[in-house]
Amino acid sequence: MAGLSDDAQWIVMMGFVVSLSFFFLALLLNQSTVVGQTTAESVLDFPKNDIHDVRSVMIQSAELLNATTNPISVSQYQRIQNDIQTLSLSEKKAVVQYQIINTNPVWLSIHYNNGVTSYNETWVSP
Amino acid sequence: MVNDRGQLFTIEGVAASMIMLFTTYLVLGATTVYTPGDSHISDMQLEQIGSDALKMMNTPSNCTSTSCVSQLQAIVNESDFTPAGQNQALIDFNTTFLNYVNNRTGSMSDNLHYTANITFRDYTDAANPNSTGSYILAFNRNLTGVEHPVRVTEWVLIGPPNFPQGIVLPRNSGYQPQPRAVLVEVLLWRD
Repeated sequence: MAGLSDDAQWIVMMGFVVSLSFFFLALLLNQSTVVGQTTAESVLDFPKNDIHDVRSVMIQSAELLNATTNPISVSQYQRIQNDIQTLSLSEKKAVVQYQIINTNPVWLSIHYNNGVTSYNETWVSP
Repeated sequence: MVNDRGQLFTIEGVAASMIMLFTTYLVLGATTVYTPGDSHISDMQLEQIGSDALKMMNTPSNCTSTSCVSQLQAIVNESDFTPAGQNQALIDFNTTFLNYVNNRTGSMSDNLHYTANITFRDYTDAANPNSTGSYILAFNRNLTGVEHPVRVTEWVLIGPPNFPQGIVLPRNSGYQPQPRAVLVEVLLWRD
């Protein structure tokens, strides 16, 4: 390298290093916002509270029908069932079904489907 | 031969790093950009707080051998008798619900507001047995349209035999005869 200056090589290399580190920092910053969002979105999308809630009211009504003291009649039970199915569809946009498949002990088959999440359970009274 | 070109490079490097640090400090410290995506996080927390509060209200606290009535069941039942009963239901719901959602550790309470509705299957509409009706149960602030509320719901079973006393069926409500399942819907927001 007779008499030629090699300063430019340093400048070019430092330029690379700086731009790469900037790129890396931007990537970190970008990902950090997405992390919270995707977590919260998937929690919101999953109808945990809806399933808990509709399941408990179904079980309550089945227990009322099979109560040893002062049970409700079959027509009253069917009215509650109709309430739950109608209101679930119109207010919660979910198709729910449940039926008693055995009475002593109570076996209750529970179905929930809101188009994204479907949940099926056979509940047995303790 | 010793030259001093390195000193210039060093000084320039130090100056550049100072400028970069200062810029980063300004950018990060000046403002936090609240993107629409971030609202999901507080929505998730609000939804959890609201459903927990409703679930607590719908859990019977003292059961006897003949009756087991949760506070929410009593409030919903009460809300459909008379204007006075509706007013009492509003007061009861308002007190308990705000107490549950706004309590925080320490003396500063949270600042959540809500409107609560009851939705029921309209039994009086014989032509359309699957129609629904609703009325306002309680609220502590009107929705003006700029809020960003989340919706939480709770199923409530009302009517005998949950209630030991003979129930006088309400006036023009769509949810007689009882027992019935109705849906309590709460819109909840923070400001």
